[in-house]
Amino acid sequence: MVEVPMTGTARRSLLARLFVETRSVMPAAGSTGLSLVLVIATMCFLASLTLGAVLAVNHATQSWTRQLSGALTVEIRAVEGQDPEMQRDAALTVLSKTPGILTAKTLTRDDVAALIQPWLGADIAREDLPFPQLIDVRVDTAAPPDLVALAAALEKSAPGVKLDSHREWLDDINGAANAAQGLSYAILAIITLTTIAIVTFATRAGLLANHEIVELLHLIGARDNFIASEIQRHFLLLGLRGGVLGLALSLLAFGGMALAMNSRSFLVSMPTIQPWTLTSLLLVPVMAALVSVITARMTVMRGLGRMM
Amino acid sequence: MIRFENVGLRYESGPEVLRDVTFTLERGSFHFLTGPSGAGKTSLLRLMFLDHKPSRGLITMFDRPIATLTRHELPDIRREIGVVFQDFRLIAHLTAYENVALPLRARGKSEDSYRADVIELLQWVGMGERLNALPSTLSGGEKQRVAIARAVMGRPRLLIADEPTGNVDAEMGNRLLHLFVELNRLGTSILIATHDRELIARNPAPALVLHKGEVEIHG
Repeated sequence: MVEVPMTGTARRSLLARLFVETRSVMPAAGSTGLSLVLVIATMCFLASLTLGAVLAVNHATQSWTRQLSGALTVEIRAVEGQDPEMQRDAALTVLSKTPGILTAKTLTRDDVAALIQPWLGADIAREDLPFPQLIDVRVDTAAPPDLVALAAALEKSAPGVKLDSHREWLDDINGAANAAQGLSYAILAIITLTTIAIVTFATRAGLLANHEIVELLHLIGARDNFIASEIQRHFLLLGLRGGVLGLALSLLAFGGMALAMNSRSFLVSMPTIQPWTLTSLLLVPVMAALVSVITARMTVMRGLGRMM
Repeated sequence: MIRFENVGLRYESGPEVLRDVTFTLERGSFHFLTGPSGAGKTSLLRLMFLDHKPSRGLITMFDRPIATLTRHELPDIRREIGVVFQDFRLIAHLTAYENVALPLRARGKSEDSYRADVIELLQWVGMGERLNALPSTLSGGEKQRVAIARAVMGRPRLLIADEPTGNVDAEMGNRLLHLFVELNRLGTSILIATHDRELIARNPAPALVLHKGEVEIHG
């Protein structure tokens, strides 16, 4: 009975079968296939981490801005000859008539004491300190009030009434956030370009190491498109495997960081996984595979073009 | 059928390695190609299996002038030529079966259409028991037979073998020669490049003798 031909797959190592076996005329494991997968995995890991960092910075920036731009504070200082309750009521009246104000809540002396406790300590004699009255105001961020007009109206309503829109804080935070975003985008751009360069180089090295196979296929009558397709398929699968491996490692790293951040207080929190976030991360291995495929095709076609 | 007329070859700006080479190989012929080392045998073979263009002269393969063929037409001519390379050029990670099937795979044929033929051919060259063997596990003679099977898999009209007995003992050399004679009997033109005078003596056939880039026909 004739032995049924088997491909070499069954005898090859588990590592090769999992990550580099492509059933291609190009060699699977060995110095080129596995190296390429590892290089692509490493670069995708770095690119995914950077992309994740960019998303985290964006998330934090939006969160800070949202928190600050959605809140106002009305400060009512004690003025000689003025009844504090009348000052407060006058301010509340102005706030209640202003469109875009969602809530206005007068803070109690305990609330105010809690706010300044980090600076003055818990043992302060609350009754002895002339705490200002504070009104915590929440605004509709979708249709915010005219803050200049509101500040003027409040100051006019009673002496000692002043609006704090946190504008200075907001400007500082926006400035810092914009700088952080710009830096992270620059790092992402550098990592992306480096990834493209390294994947291109590794793909070319893989092809160079196996140029005899390309020559052989050419000499036995294979058409250029067949050779390019075989090699593209090989590098597509290697690229995808490397990319997915890198992405999986970066997701594990994100998971570890998220656990660490949940147990402590961090200024930058992990972004929640939105569909577009996931899509962005999934694009990393796809892009790596595409770079590998395009490089392989261009290199092979250029090499074949030099042959008869 | 195959004609070289005043063919010359030089690599880049180097000296001419082939000069005014003129000969004709008729359909179904059997020839040896011989000559001392450095005489230009490998260069002549490269021209014959369309690995290189001549610097001058006219090459006609299967009644078609090579110079007039487009890049799209050249693979069709190459498929008519089977080559047994001196160093075999078996793909190391493919089994004997996969190596022999390569010419048909390269033509886009499905495995179902060629599976039985590949097995039959490997059995014919005495490799029926080693279908799944990787080249690294094969002896020199076994590699040679796999390389021959691959060269004839696409039913070529011309088979070129470069030093086919160079890596095997005398007995295996005889068996391989018998294979070539059998293929020739089935209608394939054969050109064997060899240094082996005994091989030529055992199978008297016309010989293209290369000397310093020029060819003479003996016999």
